[in-house]
Amino acid sequence: MIEYVDMLLPYITTILLISSIYAIFSLGLNLEWGFTGLINFGHVAFLAIGAYTTVMFNMSGFSLFVSVIAGIVLSGFFGLLLGIPTLRLREDYLAIVTIGFSEVLRFILLNEQWLTRGPFGIHGFDRPLQDVIPYQYYNTFLLILYLMILVIVYFALERLIRSPWGRVLKSIREDEEVSSALGKNVFWYRLQSLMIGSAIAGLAGAMLAFYISYIDPNTFKPIETFHAWIIIILGGTASNKGTIVGALVFCTFLSVTQFTSRFLPFTAHQMGAFRMIVIGLLLIILMMHKPEGIFGKKEELALSD
Amino acid sequence: MKMDILSVKDLEKHFGGVKAVDGCSISIEAGTVMGLIGPNGAGKTTMFNLISGFERGIGEIVFKGIRTDNLSPFKIARCGMVRTFQIPRALTKMTVSENLMLAPKTQLGERIWDVWLRPKRVREQEMQIREKSRDILEFFEISHLEDEYAGALSGGQKKLLEMARAMMIDPSMMLLDEPFAGVNPTLARKISRYICELHEDGMTFLVIEHDIPAITKISDRIVVMNEGKVMAEGEPAEIKRRRDVLEVYIGGEG
Repeated sequence: MIEYVDMLLPYITTILLISSIYAIFSLGLNLEWGFTGLINFGHVAFLAIGAYTTVMFNMSGFSLFVSVIAGIVLSGFFGLLLGIPTLRLREDYLAIVTIGFSEVLRFILLNEQWLTRGPFGIHGFDRPLQDVIPYQYYNTFLLILYLMILVIVYFALERLIRSPWGRVLKSIREDEEVSSALGKNVFWYRLQSLMIGSAIAGLAGAMLAFYISYIDPNTFKPIETFHAWIIIILGGTASNKGTIVGALVFCTFLSVTQFTSRFLPFTAHQMGAFRMIVIGLLLIILMMHKPEGIFGKKEELALSD
Repeated sequence: MKMDILSVKDLEKHFGGVKAVDGCSISIEAGTVMGLIGPNGAGKTTMFNLISGFERGIGEIVFKGIRTDNLSPFKIARCGMVRTFQIPRALTKMTVSENLMLAPKTQLGERIWDVWLRPKRVREQEMQIREKSRDILEFFEISHLEDEYAGALSGGQKKLLEMARAMMIDPSMMLLDEPFAGVNPTLARKISRYICELHEDGMTFLVIEHDIPAITKISDRIVVMNEGKVMAEGEPAEIKRRRDVLEVYIGGEG
């Protein structure tokens, strides 16, 4: 019995750690899509920028705190760069540009070896308080730290979206012409939303790097963007609480199904595909019965008119 | 003579080969109600879109002494000109109260840093805005709908909501696109009463309308458009006597 508990605790810690990283990553996308109606199909790019910037700053001798701030700021800055040419246009243009950007960035990370060590990835960077915390408690420490960050990000976002600022975002999501007829600078608000969403993804990137203590370009495949989309739709679009619960449900599912491979006649590769099929089916069933997601409000369903 | 709040000179707008607005000039005196009538396709709504900045054309538009023909819609709105849409565009997934509270300009809480760092000031201002929205809802007699989602409102109530929302930005001029269309007679009478009351308080209106009796009752002056041009302008009584105007409306082709 005690043996099981010994095994179970680290396992739960791992799930919660991954969930908290995914939760923060998805909260960024939820601000963009859920509250502003921006379709970002390249959200993972900002995760990558956050992770790489943090790690490379730290490797060049900056303190971890400065490195993380640099990662957040640079992610936000790239959000600004992508937003300026696209956000004046219809929303589909942002979708196209972001999906392209995330793949271009991944190939740059793969090929510019002088800068990123390419496919070999980067390891050996500092982790928060690694010299102070004993190794066997490190993940527990990281979990407490990450839950605290999650709480801060959650409340900062909640305050924003319940403010007049959030009201303007919602009005843009619904009908940008009405917003501008009422004197709101639609372009600027969209830009702010994209910048903050990207900066939050950058923070998640730094957290991911510290957790896995090794990053390479293939950590940042486009599928990660769609994991965030699944999490948001699952939890309820335009609900921050839902996004966090969605992340927990999604990560638990991914990790629990790893055990089922013992009972199923699949190779590891087939198992991965099988899991995505099951997730797809679950989403379809959820959309049929509760299209607003677990915590979404039916009256505010972003997808319908 | 009173000052013109809005003057439009030689305005033109082409869609491909179609001249939607073809050299129109109108001016509106501050504090008056101007009716804009004409058959479908005469260019009235395009005129509205040009004046409110949603379309770009050729020509000069001066509002309160400011050239607005090259400004974006949100800047024109901030100058104090607000418009409604032909089909009412309530923000259906927000409550009536949120719809109204969105509108006021220069809200402290619209800036991220103030939201995070000065929550008390933001809250105080929110209270003031809420008070104001309640007064305006009361004026339009829709106070009971305050907490409803705007999507649950009837077409007529949405029209009232749009006007109430527009009032929240303290405009000096309102452009109303067919305020009486698809509205039952009782509500239509109410809407015209609201317009008259606001007019008495000094508001300037430019109103597109097909309901000739209703528009002649509330307007100080009327402009008739046809095929992109201004074909007549004058006081309601004058316009009603003009044969060519009647012909345009009751089938002039025959």
